[in-house]
Amino acid sequence: MNDLKQLAFQRKNTMAFLAAASLVKGSATIGQALFFVFIADRVFLQDAAFESLLPLFGGLFAAILLRVGAGYAIGRAGVNLAADVKSEFRTTLIKSFAENPMLSAAQGQSGQKVSLLMDAVDEVDGFYSKYIPQMMQTYIIPLLLLGVIFTQNWTTGVIILITAPFIPVFMAMVGKGTKKKADEKMEQLSRFSGTFLDILQGLSTLKLFGQAEKQQQAIRKSSLNFRDSTMEVLKSAFLSSLMLEYISMLSIGIVALEIGLRLVVFDSISFFTAFFILILVPDFFNLLKDFGSAFHTARGSVSAANQLGAELEKNHSPLAWGKETIASEPPHLSLESLSFQYGEGFSLAPLNGEIPPYSQVAIVGKSGSGKTTFMHLLAGLLPQTEGDLMVNGVPRETISEKSWFDQMSYISQTPYLFAGTIRENMVIGANRPVSDAEVLAAAEKAGIAEWVLTLEQGFETPIGEAGRGLSGGEKQRIALARAFLKRPSLILFDEPTTGLDLRTEQILQDSLHELQKTSTVITVAHRLHTIKRADLIFFLENGRLEAAGSHDELLQNYGPYKEMLSAQQGGGVR
Amino acid sequence: MNELKHVLKLMLIEKKDVSIAIFFGFIAGVAGVALMGSSGYLISKAALTSQMTTLVVMAACLKLFGFASALSRYGERLYSHRATFTMLSHLRMSFFERLAPLAPGIFGKYRSGDLLSRIVGDVESLQNFLLRVFYPPVVLGIVFLSTIFFSSFFSMGIAAVMFIGMLLTVVAVPALFSIRKRRTDGQVRAKRGSLAIEATEFLYGFRDLKIHQQLSAKEQQLTTDAARYNEGQRKEGLEENLAQSINSLVALLVSFFVLGVGAYFVAAGELDGLYLAMLVMISIAAFENVAPMAAFPAYFEESRKAAVRLEEIVAEPSALRGTEQLPDGPLDIELTGASFSYPGEKNLAVDDVSIHLKPGTKTAIVGPSGSGKSTLMQLLLNVFPLDQGQLSIGGKPAENFGQEAIWQKMNIVLQENHFFYGTVRSNLLIADPTASDEQMEQALAKVHLELFPLSMAMEEKGQNLSGGQKQRLAIARALLKGKSLWLLDEPVSSVDSLTGQAIYQELFQQGKENLFVLISHDLAGLEKMDQIIVMENGRIVESGSYKELMERKSYFHQLKQIENSVFA
Repeated sequence: MNDLKQLAFQRKNTMAFLAAASLVKGSATIGQALFFVFIADRVFLQDAAFESLLPLFGGLFAAILLRVGAGYAIGRAGVNLAADVKSEFRTTLIKSFAENPMLSAAQGQSGQKVSLLMDAVDEVDGFYSKYIPQMMQTYIIPLLLLGVIFTQNWTTGVIILITAPFIPVFMAMVGKGTKKKADEKMEQLSRFSGTFLDILQGLSTLKLFGQAEKQQQAIRKSSLNFRDSTMEVLKSAFLSSLMLEYISMLSIGIVALEIGLRLVVFDSISFFTAFFILILVPDFFNLLKDFGSAFHTARGSVSAANQLGAELEKNHSPLAWGKETIASEPPHLSLESLSFQYGEGFSLAPLNGEIPPYSQVAIVGKSGSGKTTFMHLLAGLLPQTEGDLMVNGVPRETISEKSWFDQMSYISQTPYLFAGTIRENMVIGANRPVSDAEVLAAAEKAGIAEWVLTLEQGFETPIGEAGRGLSGGEKQRIALARAFLKRPSLILFDEPTTGLDLRTEQILQDSLHELQKTSTVITVAHRLHTIKRADLIFFLENGRLEAAGSHDELLQNYGPYKEMLSAQQGGGVR
Repeated sequence: MNELKHVLKLMLIEKKDVSIAIFFGFIAGVAGVALMGSSGYLISKAALTSQMTTLVVMAACLKLFGFASALSRYGERLYSHRATFTMLSHLRMSFFERLAPLAPGIFGKYRSGDLLSRIVGDVESLQNFLLRVFYPPVVLGIVFLSTIFFSSFFSMGIAAVMFIGMLLTVVAVPALFSIRKRRTDGQVRAKRGSLAIEATEFLYGFRDLKIHQQLSAKEQQLTTDAARYNEGQRKEGLEENLAQSINSLVALLVSFFVLGVGAYFVAAGELDGLYLAMLVMISIAAFENVAPMAAFPAYFEESRKAAVRLEEIVAEPSALRGTEQLPDGPLDIELTGASFSYPGEKNLAVDDVSIHLKPGTKTAIVGPSGSGKSTLMQLLLNVFPLDQGQLSIGGKPAENFGQEAIWQKMNIVLQENHFFYGTVRSNLLIADPTASDEQMEQALAKVHLELFPLSMAMEEKGQNLSGGQKQRLAIARALLKGKSLWLLDEPVSSVDSLTGQAIYQELFQQGKENLFVLISHDLAGLEKMDQIIVMENGRIVESGSYKELMERKSYFHQLKQIENSVFA
């Protein structure tokens, strides 16, 4: 909670404004009570004429306007504070996502990150829009009121000083108790509340088995169980706020009694003072109670804030880039003890090897052997832990990011298509103005021209988010068309593990053949013909480069390679 | 308000709890007013006299009303929350009752994974309807009317001022802000939607963006969208703050005018000055309760929108269907000239497909992903209505039968099979509630899951099982059902090949007279099938027995070639 508070106190202007507005609000509250009592006193005890009261009414009206105005200003400042902080959180998060190399995507946490950006940030809102302004008011206004009360009747002040501390003490105790109870019931609660979703998700299954009708009772039962468990938790919360009300009632009662005694028995204070105090005291306790409920809101923000903090604290080792440009010819790549380690988990042992220009490299190995990580290192998407990737004799780090990515295409198994038109998705990599003729030619090479032209809007046909509505083959071919438009000198290709339609298979082969004429192609290979055709095969196992060489060399010298091939020939059955 | 009629009806089932809550709310409110009023009166009285009785009465009143108010507040919270949760149960049940007949077709129509969590969220947000929309104005109204009634004995003028104040704070201001809210709410929602889409694209498309050097442009876009959403939220917050401030301004002004009118009448000699402080205190206390009305517009709009969205989902007209039962004995399934496209998509998912499935035969449907195999299966299951063509079962049009009557004759294993929180036993009993433990154990043995005890715990969605185990359990469930039509959509894709083949063997042996339809994306072990149907782009490109297709050396043969050369 302190971290969250710090963010608020860093905004000194806002905090100063909140303090000033609280001061105004407190003074206006006192002024309002004062005018109320003045008027009542004049009318009731001094039989004043109505006209003589008009200035006092003017004062009262002004005090009310000032009080509401200051309240509005405080609320407004709170909303603005929350909006500013949230905006800062989102900007920082987005920046951190952007700087983060491939790690997160590799770990499949993208969904979690989206919810962090959307929901967790929203949950922080209450802390700044409600709690902070309330906190500021609680720091200032009760003190003001207490000061005024002391000047009017110091005994009342003493009574309040003795009773008021019970409220925060009680609040803390209660909060702890309720939290403990809620924690105990947490699992039960989430299970009961999860049943409805569980049944909805299984509705198709239930229907197919003719069991849907019976589930209504299951929903009822779990909902009622949920109600009863929640009520138990709530009951203790309600009971404690009952106690709080009692404390404030009790001390208001004592104050009233004391005032009454003085007024009736000792005749030592006036009606004016008595009435004045009677109006101010409930205001004092109301502020403390409001702070209590704002405190609850704030606690809800804390877990979201912790999530955000954890994400922002993760240190990323961003990739280093330099200024050199590389020629638009296939580069000579050398791996010099290139290694990668992620946390305690996966590691890629030091890799050594040479990839001459125009070579065709196949990376093979079981799933989990580190093929994708290897590709990401080669692509400049992940920073190596140690060693170097030398490009034409210089470390990759000395080359400019733009120059590097200008020369590279990465065709993954699941190319991501963005919401936009087919044309937009094709030209995304080209980084130059592209003519319609070029688009058409690339589409023809990638085998999508025919299909696109049957669409009503042709290349301007919009594709949904993540290419919704397109088949796997169509997505692959659009990614190929991207590569044709880009004309890279280094291509990284993740060959599909599942059978695509025949036409896409054919096009993939032909296209790569074509692209190989002008570039180095490194493939995570899943097809026998791709492997056989490669100049160089990297055989990975458990993050180690076990062997490298051509098909014939490995067949002769490396047993596990032969085993892998023969296992494939024999079975292929899943 | 029309949209919420249904919710209102459900709420009123809990008449008792709701009335008790309203009663306590009323007592709490009135006691609070009485507390302040009596203290105002007594202090005035005390200023005039020096009788001890005044003091005693004052102390007693303070205690009495104070405790009554606090205690009723407790009762109010208890009963209103209880009623709220009971109402949630009714909401769920009632929604489920209306949704159930539309499944599973409706899930195919909304091809969005978050439909279900959206439904759950919407149903849950409707529970606020009682607590934050319906309840506050009702209780406030009653408290105000009683207060006004009481005040009218002293001064009609003051009662009138309070009445106007009530109309403003309970009706006019919330209504005004609700209307304004309705105008802007859609915008913030839309901004949130586009931010979510941008964020998803940014994170899922990260690699492609990075390589195509579009990352910073996309980051810019994302930042802009985040700022837009943030501004929308800021406006919303300011609006709520404004509503709150106006409400409290009106409340304070009412006290101002009560004092003004009161002072005027006292000065004019038409009201005893003794009551002035009391009336002022009453108005302050009564209008202190209007704070919850500031949140009313937001909750009202939220409930209304949730109700509308839920209504949209379940308002599907269900096609008229016959009620005939399927005859016993072997049945055949025939699909002629069937075409189907998903709503909102232009491409036909299944395009002019005709197949005839005879009793006692085994058919495999193969083809690359996205070729329409699974959609074809859904059509055979009669889940979606055909755009064109005819499905007949046992020689009669499928529309003659109720959907449940058709499924009742089928053993179905889909790609995604749901398992419920519970045990293996409770999940198997779904197939046959009368099955004995012995029968269930036999079924488990047939899918090589004999090591699973029936009492084994099952987590939500069977998370504690591997993909292959879930598939085998789904087959065991189908085995227990024991019907003669088998429709299997990639039932063993995550099971190792040896076990998979053994399970097929078991199924085929047990169901020699049965009809099997099997979708498979790998082409191994299809030699035993009587008929293989090869699909691409929603069309049948080839069909025949394994031998015929291999001899023909066309599409299937080539697919087989590719498969042989693929390393998984």
